[in-house]
Amino acid sequence: MTDTTLTILIVGLLALMGVGLYGLLAVRNLIKVIVALQILVKGALLALVAAGAASGQVNLGQSLAATVIVADTVVAVVGLALAVQVRRTVGTLDVQALARLKK
Amino acid sequence: MTAFAWLVLVPLLAAPVVYLIGRWGSQSNQPAAARQAGLAALIVAWFPFVLAAQDFTTNGPATLTVGAASLTLDGMGLLLAALALGLGTLVAIYSTEYMAADENQEKFYAMLTLLVGVMIGLGCATDLFNLWVWFEAMAISSYLLVAFYRNISTSLEAGVKYLVQSAVGSVFVLLGIALVLAKTGTLDLAEIRAAAELSPLFLAAGGLFFIGFGVKVALVPMHTWLPDAHSQAPSGISAMLSGVVIEAGLVALLRVLAGLGGLAISWGVVLMLFGALNMTVGNLMALRQKQVKRLLAYSSLSHVGYMLIGLGVSVYAGEAAGAQGGMFHMLNHGMMKGLAFLAAGALLYTLHLSRGSHDPLTVDDLAGASKRYPLVAFALSLAVLALGGLPPLAGFMSKWQIFVAGAQTHNVWIIVLVIYAGLNSVLSLAYYAPLVNVMYRKQPSEAVLAGRMMPTAMLVPVLILIAGVVVLGFWPSLLQWLTGPAGSALLAAFGG
Amino acid sequence: MANEFTILLLIGLPWLGALLVWFTGDSRPRFQHLLAVLFSLAAGAVALSLIPGATDQAVLTLNVGGIFGAFTFVPDGLGVFLAAVATVVGSLAVIFSVEYMKGEAQLGRYYALVLFFIGGMVGLVLSGSLLLMFFFWEITALCSFALIAFNNDDPKAVAGGLKALIITSLGGVGLLIGALVIYGYTGSYEVNDFLAGAAQLPPDVLSLVAFGFLAAAAAKSSQVPFHTWLPGAMEAPTPISALIHAATMVNAGVYLLARFYPAFEGVPGWTTAVVIVGLASACLAALMALVAQDLKRALAYSTISQLGYMVYAVGVGGVFASQFHLLSHAVFKALLFLGAGAVIHSVGTRDMRQMGGLGQKMPFVRNTFIIGALALAGLPILNGFWSKELVLEAGLSGGPGWAFALMVIGAGLTACYTFRMVWLVFFGEPRAHLHAHETGPAMKVSLGLLAFGTLTTWLLVGPFGEMLAETLPHHHLHILDLGELISEILLAPATWLALAVIAIGLAAWWWHERLAAVRDGLGFLARWAEADFGFEWINRQVVRLTRGTAEALTATQTGVLNWNVAGIVGGLVAVLMILLLAWGA
Repeated sequence: MTDTTLTILIVGLLALMGVGLYGLLAVRNLIKVIVALQILVKGALLALVAAGAASGQVNLGQSLAATVIVADTVVAVVGLALAVQVRRTVGTLDVQALARLKK
Repeated sequence: MTAFAWLVLVPLLAAPVVYLIGRWGSQSNQPAAARQAGLAALIVAWFPFVLAAQDFTTNGPATLTVGAASLTLDGMGLLLAALALGLGTLVAIYSTEYMAADENQEKFYAMLTLLVGVMIGLGCATDLFNLWVWFEAMAISSYLLVAFYRNISTSLEAGVKYLVQSAVGSVFVLLGIALVLAKTGTLDLAEIRAAAELSPLFLAAGGLFFIGFGVKVALVPMHTWLPDAHSQAPSGISAMLSGVVIEAGLVALLRVLAGLGGLAISWGVVLMLFGALNMTVGNLMALRQKQVKRLLAYSSLSHVGYMLIGLGVSVYAGEAAGAQGGMFHMLNHGMMKGLAFLAAGALLYTLHLSRGSHDPLTVDDLAGASKRYPLVAFALSLAVLALGGLPPLAGFMSKWQIFVAGAQTHNVWIIVLVIYAGLNSVLSLAYYAPLVNVMYRKQPSEAVLAGRMMPTAMLVPVLILIAGVVVLGFWPSLLQWLTGPAGSALLAAFGG
Repeated sequence: MANEFTILLLIGLPWLGALLVWFTGDSRPRFQHLLAVLFSLAAGAVALSLIPGATDQAVLTLNVGGIFGAFTFVPDGLGVFLAAVATVVGSLAVIFSVEYMKGEAQLGRYYALVLFFIGGMVGLVLSGSLLLMFFFWEITALCSFALIAFNNDDPKAVAGGLKALIITSLGGVGLLIGALVIYGYTGSYEVNDFLAGAAQLPPDVLSLVAFGFLAAAAAKSSQVPFHTWLPGAMEAPTPISALIHAATMVNAGVYLLARFYPAFEGVPGWTTAVVIVGLASACLAALMALVAQDLKRALAYSTISQLGYMVYAVGVGGVFASQFHLLSHAVFKALLFLGAGAVIHSVGTRDMRQMGGLGQKMPFVRNTFIIGALALAGLPILNGFWSKELVLEAGLSGGPGWAFALMVIGAGLTACYTFRMVWLVFFGEPRAHLHAHETGPAMKVSLGLLAFGTLTTWLLVGPFGEMLAETLPHHHLHILDLGELISEILLAPATWLALAVIAIGLAAWWWHERLAAVRDGLGFLARWAEADFGFEWINRQVVRLTRGTAEALTATQTGVLNWNVAGIVGGLVAVLMILLLAWGA
């Protein structure tokens, strides 16, 4: 793998993670928060693939990435299922409103 | 197949079976099927556990290799397995009554069995790949348990926060793995340790791991999900979360940090710093708390602080007593907090849940509970006094062991930290003791007057835990066979 | 006959009794009373049988192993004597309770805690291991808390119990850290090993231990500046005040100082600090007792003051004098508290302003109370006289002169407040319509035996001193036999000076109407004493500050998800900063 590819990968993953973190910190809609979480994970996936490639352990990096995709999908499904339930019982997806538990 | 293999496999394989049996049971009018299957699965898992423990004490650590992945049952793994299986079984017994009226019991028991199996696996992982997979599996199986009351808004809220925060932590762990992989080309912790060097990349990886796992261990300031999740989960699950899941996260954190080793600053110092912070914040937050389960959740924060101090001392100064003390406190905290949550849960059940209310159990609700529910009130008193570190109860002894380890370093700052920890214990009495006072009032609260009968099945695990908390308070070296090897395993991982 | 069996029996009997009473259940109160009396008496008998066999060797060793070392029990003179006090006064308090607590709810909890306390107290004084000592130390604090707050429906009782628990545990941290450091440096928990080899510790470490133990002792024995919990502890049922907060647990601090005196006497500033703590407690508490309106609070301040005498005695090197006064005080103060209990039980109030003239209605209580009061005031020939004079004499020969002078003035104040108390309760005109009645037989037995003790325990000075001297190899005690005691006390100028001051104190109360001008002149002092010399204010500020911080901290738990994630990111930044800083350094 060339240095250029690696640079592109790193820039890409940093951009993805930046977007993801911004979403988690600033967005109030729960669905969007979960989407932001997904974007964050995609950044980490890119990092794993790049790391595998950079160290010559392509198989290790990619098999780990494949596992992450599976686990991450489960998390997304559970998260969205919870979001659906939240919409049904609370009536809103605003995370500011979803703050009855405090102190 | 060795006993160790069965120990990991039995709960994992049993989980889907429990689900199917429970499913069949609920369709063919046999609602008890799910709980019987779940309980049976956990009881069966005790056989390989006993065999594996015997094998461990005679032959030392056992290794299980499947393809490229391998698991090793060392002292820490065995301790975590004992804690997970022990508390898991008690919670299964407890929940037969607590959850009796709820829907979807098959999911509850399947997830509980899965959670136990996953934590046993997590304790034995020796490479980053495995560690992450088990860690993520533990998180996923506990999400659904936290948000088990899926029509209750607060329960959902807790579940959402728990999920999002855990997932963020998990991403940080992945990033750390990527950094380590890029630098060393391996994921095996022992090999990483051999290749570890002092470089910005390793520092960044260390920070990412610390925070990533730290979310699960509820280190301040990543702790904000904990009071919500622990107070909203069904009480048996609160006991599991507080008594085992945090500890499992801590074991994972320690294993990874040991792999990184050789940094500019000993990880021990960082652990001790966070220990002091956790104790302070946990105690102060609990001080003004009116909801019993939330109060207990905050107290978990402070107890993580004690464990961190013991473990940090051992990592910093190579003090075996600190490692053993930290491990002993993990076990004791599992029992004490397990007892506290089960007893508080039993009262929550009789006072609110069994009457169809999902209101939180407040301290005022407990007024006069001792008259109607003498055993449970006594159990809760015992549990909180043990958590406060009063003798003759288990918490006193493990705190003592941690503190002695600190004094043995002869280091002024660590001795100051021990004094600080001692003062924190005194502060914690300021919220534990009034809880006891309230229960022994003569004038019962309205909730107690209207409360239902206490089901017997809930009393069995409570009695067992009472015995454990008291006996260890008188004879602390009884679990030395677990804490000793666990401490040595930790030191061996960091030392060398 | 001190063997492992008697030790186990001595701790085990009360604890077994506690379990049995607990399991008996509150539906059978008569059986509960009976069980409690039987088990406490049995423990008392075992303790007395242990006295001839006192030894400085460990007779019971439980090897717990690992970092916990061995749990050893050493029934030496000091330990056996205090164990006897704990169990004997304990059984008298239990007998008294049969009448005092008749018809009360939750008797099982009451007796279980009392018996648990007695066992714990015995364990504390017989422990030969520092770990075990702290273990029992905290058990007694736990029982004290639970019994003060026995009436949990009363917020004052709950607050008093909590205050006692927090303050004594706060001081207990000193004992904890001392014990830990001793083990950390010597690798042994054995008290006797430490006493023999204390000089091997680095001087600053030994100072830490010495002052840590002093803090623990001051908190437990309710000495300045930790004394504020004891008046609050008066919300406990009166037999508990007599047992725990007068005769036994509060002595644990003095016991600790006496036990470790040989190790700490060479620590720079330590003996001076002990003298100052004792002196301040003795004099300030005496002033507070003089203005107290609540009978039990007055007695509580008087306990602080008398414990101050014992602490002072240790500070000036009079370990034997302090223990002798401890014995006298345990007996006469238990008598005074039980007498006060009989009065309170009878009239239903603790306010002395409402009493008066009760002597005619309850002559037996009046007579025994007066015996106790005279001992407290330090009048011959009661036990308090001999021991207090011995303390003052030790102070004159071993301590600074100004301290001695103040302690003698304190003795005068003691006489004055004691006389005031007796007068307000038993004599003069009745000030309110109180229905008083004479006490029943159970109370009379306890009061009678304690009054007898008050008249006679000083006769035991010879064997008492021998027992201590023979079994405490590291202490160099100045012991006396009876003849020496009498001649030395009677020939000492300190005695006559003190007696004169005591007489002035008595006279001051007698003529207090005529001395009104002086009293008004000292009004500022009285108001200051009523305000507890500002120590209560400090307590309140500490509590307020802690609560305020906790309340402010709750703002960090907003419950909003974005904020929670920000916490994680912030944590990451913080950890990376720590690592980078350490790397750069």
